Amino acid sequence: MAQEGVESGLTWEVRANSRHYHKPKQKNSFMCFRWGRYADNLVRSYKYSPLTFLPLTLFEQFQRVANLYFLLMVVLQCVPVISSIPWYISIIPLFTVLSIRALKDLVNDMARRRSDSWINSRPCDVLISQSFNTAQWKDLFVGDVLRIRKDQVIPADLLLLCSSEPHSLCYVETADIDGETNLKYRQALSATHNELTSHPSEEALAAFDGVVLCEEPNNRLHTFRGQLHWRGECLLLDNEHILLRGTVLRNTEFAYGLTIYTGADTKILRSCGKVRMKITRMEKVFNKVVIGIVVSVLMTALLLAIGSGVFSAWLMNDLGVMSVLVVDSNPVYTGFLVYWSYIILLSPAMPIILYITFEVIHTVHSQFIGSDLEMYWQPADKPAQARNTSLSEELGQVGYLLSDKTGTLTQNHLLFRQCCIAGEIYGDASVRAEDTEPMDLSWNPFSRGGLYMSAPSLVKKLRGQECPLSRQFLTAMSLCHTVMAEWKNEAPVYQAASPDEEALVCAARELGWVFLSRTRDFIVVSELGVTRQYQLLALLDFTSQRRRMSVLVREPEGGLKLYCKGADIVILERLQKDFPYLERSETALELFSQACLRTLCVAVRSVPEASWEQWSKILAQSAAMATCERDALLEKLYDQMERELQLLGVTAIEDRLQEGVPETIALLQQAGLKIWVLTGDKKETAVNIGYSCKLLDSDTRLLEWQELRQILQSPDPVVSFFKGRQTELWAVDKGRTEGKTAIVLTGPELAEFDQRPDWGTTFMSLAAGCQSVLCCRVTPGQKAEIVTLVRKHTNSVTMSIGDGANDVNMIKTAHVGVGIAGVEGGQAVQNADFALSQFRFLQRLLLVHGRWSYRRISIFLRYFLFKTCGFALVHIWFGFLNGFSAQTLYENWFIALYTVFYTSTPIMLLAFFEQDVSSESSLRWPELYKIGQRQELSSPLLLSLSLLHAVYASLIFFFIPCGVFYNTAFDYQTMAVTVSMAATFTAIIEDHPQQQTF
Amino acid sequence: MMASSYNAKDEDGHITVTGPGGGTLRSKKPENTAFKQQRLPAWQPILTAGTVLPAFFIIGLIFIPIGIGLYVTSNNIKEFEVDYTGVDMSSPCFNCSQNFSWNSTTPCTCTIPFFLEQPYESNVFMYYGLSNFYQNHRRYVKSRDDSQLNGDMTSLKEPSKECEPYAYHDNKPIAPCGAIANSMFNDTLELFYNDPNGTKVQIPLTNIGIAWWTDKHVKFKNPGAGEANQNLTAVFQGTTKPLNWRRPVYELDAAANNNGFINEDFIVWMRTAALPTFRKLYRIIKSPSNGMMPTMPRGNYTLEVVYNYPVRSFEGRKRMILSTISWMGGKNPFLGIAYITVGSVCFFLGVVLLIIHHKCGNRNNSADISN
Repeated sequence: MAQEGVESGLTWEVRANSRHYHKPKQKNSFMCFRWGRYADNLVRSYKYSPLTFLPLTLFEQFQRVANLYFLLMVVLQCVPVISSIPWYISIIPLFTVLSIRALKDLVNDMARRRSDSWINSRPCDVLISQSFNTAQWKDLFVGDVLRIRKDQVIPADLLLLCSSEPHSLCYVETADIDGETNLKYRQALSATHNELTSHPSEEALAAFDGVVLCEEPNNRLHTFRGQLHWRGECLLLDNEHILLRGTVLRNTEFAYGLTIYTGADTKILRSCGKVRMKITRMEKVFNKVVIGIVVSVLMTALLLAIGSGVFSAWLMNDLGVMSVLVVDSNPVYTGFLVYWSYIILLSPAMPIILYITFEVIHTVHSQFIGSDLEMYWQPADKPAQARNTSLSEELGQVGYLLSDKTGTLTQNHLLFRQCCIAGEIYGDASVRAEDTEPMDLSWNPFSRGGLYMSAPSLVKKLRGQECPLSRQFLTAMSLCHTVMAEWKNEAPVYQAASPDEEALVCAARELGWVFLSRTRDFIVVSELGVTRQYQLLALLDFTSQRRRMSVLVREPEGGLKLYCKGADIVILERLQKDFPYLERSETALELFSQACLRTLCVAVRSVPEASWEQWSKILAQSAAMATCERDALLEKLYDQMERELQLLGVTAIEDRLQEGVPETIALLQQAGLKIWVLTGDKKETAVNIGYSCKLLDSDTRLLEWQELRQILQSPDPVVSFFKGRQTELWAVDKGRTEGKTAIVLTGPELAEFDQRPDWGTTFMSLAAGCQSVLCCRVTPGQKAEIVTLVRKHTNSVTMSIGDGANDVNMIKTAHVGVGIAGVEGGQAVQNADFALSQFRFLQRLLLVHGRWSYRRISIFLRYFLFKTCGFALVHIWFGFLNGFSAQTLYENWFIALYTVFYTSTPIMLLAFFEQDVSSESSLRWPELYKIGQRQELSSPLLLSLSLLHAVYASLIFFFIPCGVFYNTAFDYQTMAVTVSMAATFTAIIEDHPQQQTF
Repeated sequence: MMASSYNAKDEDGHITVTGPGGGTLRSKKPENTAFKQQRLPAWQPILTAGTVLPAFFIIGLIFIPIGIGLYVTSNNIKEFEVDYTGVDMSSPCFNCSQNFSWNSTTPCTCTIPFFLEQPYESNVFMYYGLSNFYQNHRRYVKSRDDSQLNGDMTSLKEPSKECEPYAYHDNKPIAPCGAIANSMFNDTLELFYNDPNGTKVQIPLTNIGIAWWTDKHVKFKNPGAGEANQNLTAVFQGTTKPLNWRRPVYELDAAANNNGFINEDFIVWMRTAALPTFRKLYRIIKSPSNGMMPTMPRGNYTLEVVYNYPVRSFEGRKRMILSTISWMGGKNPFLGIAYITVGSVCFFLGVVLLIIHHKCGNRNNSADISN
């Protein structure tokens, strides 16, 4: 039995009700030794223990190069021969920084520990010797049988054995896992359901001695493969039988489950990956500046050390009072020591506090984003959220905006507007949804409103039983979906994973085909008041590759029907030949997509009994196969079934634009952003959305693949592009010089880019001259590829915005990812750097917060550069007058406190609050945003100007007092105070003109 | 839930938060405060010709008078300087400067005559000036033990490591230790007035009050200060004098309150200079109490130098300076000139900008951005 499991990759063995078997194999560790197989159910998200805290936190912190550099400085200062500043001067800031960070880590870790212990001590009912006892989560073992109550969180990955509901169905909410709030059903195997559902259930469950063989723990949340060996039978298990840790049991009194994976082995804990660090361009500039400073410090120190050597050699001639100043009477050695001393002395040019300040400023900016009332979305009670606090200035430099369409530009609130059945079009999309004349649906007791289609003729046909095709069409709509029905107040309430399905099922309900309920094996539908039960034989689910879904049902009369719905190209190629209404349906499809409607084709096939039997056999076999093989086989199997289809009709769903989308797009285009739309929709729909949201103008010329390909293949693409454009314009529209062009691409065409890597550059240079680029029919992977393409071939900051799980890839790939917290669950938001509720908030996020943030941080950086370099460079000039001996010109404490204390407040306030123009003006003159795109405020030129300014200031700091104190009785201390006062006052006063530099 | 909320959502975009599932949840609506909405009142100066031009003129008009004041004051200060290093063959101190060693026992004396063209009124300050003497060299500045100088008995017997190699000599601790103390200026300067009637009058020089009060009373203390009738000789028993010194520290001066570590010449020397060319206060010539006669009338004077301090090995110079002082200290025209320069530049720029503004400034006098 186990042997067989091993062969098919099922190596994880769980025996029910046998703690004595699993306990010795529990995972354990001591020091670095680990043994055992099964993790306990303790969550350990904390990182530190009292013993490991100090070494671990120090290790983590010294992985930053900057910290290492500062540590090196401190170490150097501890060497008495070379220490030009006492050791405590820089150990204090370093120590402060380290301890603040460590404290932050510690506090976070304590919070994690608290939440861990809270989670670990949550109660659950465990079956121990024939009765359920309350135990804590942490005491669970693999193989335990649990009882989950209604609304309880499931403590580990369980195999559902049975539940209190009929057929051992149960409902779970997976909001914590994928952010989707609709209920999903899980159902126990009929075998366990039949045998274990008895009263009292304890006895039967305690006697349950099945053995589960399944995959090793993995992070695939939506698949599961395993076998249950029980009473000599081998039953196949899949995802439908599994209750995942973190989901919540709903609408079910009790569910009984067998623990399969615990703690760290559970799928949810396996799949929380690490967040990839995003580094902003500003930070890169900043790092370059830091490296530049460090290098120039090293160089300057070298020159000064040479000076010191020469000076010492000269001193050596003196046998008098001064000769002692040469160490070991060796000028070279003196110079060597002085080199290190100068490195220490000049190190304040790059103070550690800069990093901390940088972080603080970022955090404050993110807070401002979160607290902006103008970006607060009342209906959902959601403010904007900066989930990644270190990217705020990147928002001010975005050059490319890559947007998803559905749910981002549109509301993803779908309305069933039109349909085409048997070549006949019903409904009218030209009137607005609100203005549609409501139909009289009083005959339908289930009608709840919400149908914005006026087609009395269709209703008449349906009720008059005239047209069998239209009746089938509606049957398909009410059967072919994965919607759950929940009964509330004598009416079904639909819980759908995708809003399309909800719209379709609701429309069917309005028209009299009411989906009443679903069990594992049956779907109950009321057709114009007649309740019919369909046996559900197979559900060929929807994936983004297949782009279609089907259900195979047995009608009450006994016939087998396959109902299929999906994207038009997929369905149309699987139709029977010589279908009478094909041409008219295709016209309808075109019409619908021109009206910006989402279309789906609905088709049916009568399946002969024989072929079903054969097919189902292969299906059963395939379930036992290894994952990858099985997927390929299933694909093929499904494909076999979904053919010879008969087209029933076409549905058209309106996805309305979000509020303020055209205005926002226009504004962002004025601000110099290139807006690309990446969508899985059809080309026509995408283009129409493009027109309706002002992304394309009515006179925009669309450049499609054929033409684009020619241009790309021509020897000099850019020239031929512009030439072609000009001649064409010359012919079409004399006198107009500026041509507007937009590129329209589709997914399969994009795939060609993989083979021609050299096209990328040319394409991007073409795209730069275009108004917009629309990519239709792209997969989530392709979306990310497009973002990579843009990132690779331009210097601009890219921003991706999307709302669904299919946008996660591109959100993660772009420099800045924005998630729209909308209808489609929370995955996009969870992976995004910023979360918004509405597309139109983007204008404020970019043009106001982004611009301000970029400005503030650039000013801060330049000012900081000026402040610290001006301060430290004085020592170079002083070196010329003290024999290059690395003598400091400041009091020790002044060096320590200068950046931290004396001059920190004004610049911090400036970096928090600076507004060159108000938010209203920023939105009124979007052109102001272009400064950020061109990086004008952080350009090398400006940075070097700041450095020059610092050099100039340091010259003044030193040589004016030098002139005053030369040949006077004033001592060193007086001069030190004078120079430091000069530096401080300058730094404070300079702060003010900074804001008016431009 | 979906179905029932359809209508409400469609008819008008704004439905209330207390919809389905809302209820008792606390609203996440951000607070409408000036801080959070970034509407804090701000003062934002806009640079226009109207604000910048007056600023230039005002700076010019403030700086130029200050500079003139400083310059005039500095010019009114009388200062006389005589270099007695003895570099030239003709110099009286040439011989002394030539055959010199730190431990020669016979003092070499030289006499330098000079003529004061103006009478010096009120207190006259007498400085010695050194050039090319790097008193600000780090290894030199460090080479002292402040706690020893503050009278700490343990530091007296065990000087700090910083003093090396001037911490011990012949296994005895050096007091005061360190390079600074070791290199203390030890020329003796005396002034004589050659009265027109032929007599040579020695001018009384005060050596009290030349150091900072805080140094004399706080920073520097003799060991065992506080004790009744202290005997410095006994206190410094067991220590040795710095190598280059001729006398031990407790014989620096006859007066008890100016001896040992609190000798003011010593304190002045220990306060290191900022730059390699510096002067230090040597003596004060108090104005006569009757106030009728100038402190130093016009006439011939003689400076008698006991030449002990070698500077020629490091190409240094020694000077004696006589100076009156004003509210701004000694004679120093630099600050005045600097102020006048900055003021003039500002004023000039102001004029230039005014002309530019006048000629082509009306192009866009209404700002594009009204904020």
